[in-house]
Amino acid sequence: MKGEVVVGGVRFANPVLAASGTFGYGVEFKGIANRLGGIVTKGVTLEERAGNPPPRIAEVPSGIVNSVGLENPGLIKFKRQILPKLKKIKTRILVNVAGFEVDEFIRLAEGLEEENIDGLELNLSCPNVSEGGAVFGQTPQKVEEITRAVRKRTKKLLVVKLTANFVDPRETAKAAEAAGADAVTVINTLYGLILDDNGRPFLGGRTGGISGPAIKPFALFCVDRVAAAVKIPVIGCGGIISGRDAFDFLCAGARLVQVGSANLTAPNGALRVLQELKIIISEKRIKGWESIVGTARRG
Amino acid sequence: MNFKVRVAEVSWLTQEVVSVWVEAPDVTGKTKPGQFFGVKVNKRGDLLLRRPLSVADVRGDFLRFIFKVVGKGTVELSRTKPGDGWDVLGPLGKPAPIFKGRDVVVCGGGVGAAPLLFLTRVLKEKNRVNVILGAKTASELILVNDFRRLKVKVILATDDGSAGEKGFVTQPAMRAIKTLLKPVVFACGPRSMLKFLMENVDQVPVWGFLEERMGCGVGICYCCAVERREGGYLRLCKDGPVVFLNEVRL
Repeated sequence: MKGEVVVGGVRFANPVLAASGTFGYGVEFKGIANRLGGIVTKGVTLEERAGNPPPRIAEVPSGIVNSVGLENPGLIKFKRQILPKLKKIKTRILVNVAGFEVDEFIRLAEGLEEENIDGLELNLSCPNVSEGGAVFGQTPQKVEEITRAVRKRTKKLLVVKLTANFVDPRETAKAAEAAGADAVTVINTLYGLILDDNGRPFLGGRTGGISGPAIKPFALFCVDRVAAAVKIPVIGCGGIISGRDAFDFLCAGARLVQVGSANLTAPNGALRVLQELKIIISEKRIKGWESIVGTARRG
Repeated sequence: MNFKVRVAEVSWLTQEVVSVWVEAPDVTGKTKPGQFFGVKVNKRGDLLLRRPLSVADVRGDFLRFIFKVVGKGTVELSRTKPGDGWDVLGPLGKPAPIFKGRDVVVCGGGVGAAPLLFLTRVLKEKNRVNVILGAKTASELILVNDFRRLKVKVILATDDGSAGEKGFVTQPAMRAIKTLLKPVVFACGPRSMLKFLMENVDQVPVWGFLEERMGCGVGICYCCAVERREGGYLRLCKDGPVVFLNEVRL
């Protein structure tokens, strides 16, 4: 079976990636990272960010609501302290970048252009920051503006991570495609509010982003629609915790998948998804991942 | 990574607190006081996150976990029976510092006594350990005989005076701290208790066992943040759960 998946000219050894924010910077579990198709690092911003006050996580039936708020060391420390370690990982590395102004995305892209990474994932959809964040991802014009600006400054694989919060991701996906994105990640977490016993917001950041199996049917629906609306590859994300989930996303039209919440149940969560997916593919005698992509829409 | 252990013994220490011994020969030798395990709650997947359970004791091939039943996850875990298999991840977290030749005050409030038992077993080999245990009432005091069997000095306090002296556990703790020369304090219990100790001791190092809502347990999700005094946050699962209290804001 041909194992590779090619997206935007970049060869991934298999279609399973660890999603941003759920696998640190990939350096913590190198052995697992090396066996995945790729990893998407925790979001990096231009300046250092402390993140949101605790509590930052709550469990809901079949899901998680998190409010980390992009805690990260900022671009300079990321390049100095983390990138050297990332170079030792032998898998595809996408750096998730988040900005609060168009100019910040530009400076992040420029700052990473000469580095030994495979691509950028533009985080236009983080629901856990009060400034910018998801607001960018809710406007097709803004998605297009940022993507176009970054495209001019990077030759690397350019992926745009989209939100489905109060927006039809087909529209923002088309905007990303028009601006030169190589792929879109569909979807980021959905807005969530958790209250404590006294009816007050439980999370330190007040609201958070819902992930996990609870959002899978909606994420799958979004992937199906976006895959039909754009020609660039779709990276499916949202509630994938088993090989069957990953199989569903490929059939809905995703070329790659990202595993997030499952990494919180054990660091090998994404690897387990890959192993299970390989068993399904083998049992069904399917030749190559590509042959199942989008089968949900074929007659 | 995660692996299976067999539940060997289950007993209720109070109406809300459960003790579970599991057989885990491969990790008992590697497990140190202060560390914890992430325990998977069920196979159905409706409760995704592992529950972080501190190690209350280690004997031979067995690990002991003691936890209070507070929510859906711990209710489910409390229904476990001998022979059940638990999916665990660990040992996780940074071990507690182990001193030599010091006077140590170990202060446990309620179920906070649990991780202090293992710590006391290790510390008492090379230190003089004073254990002070407190609870609201006598029926909520746990592990008193387990501590006594370690042949360390045990002082009790209850809010209602039904066992030991009447009042908060911090009163005998502060008395002990003040009478000792260069003591070291380990405390586990409500944050208010930890805060009181930290604010009222002078020049005495206090190490606290903290709790925070936790995601991965291994430092990759940044969910279990605890505010540092000098700014930013530490990750409790990786930098703790035993923390030098002067470094954090409670």
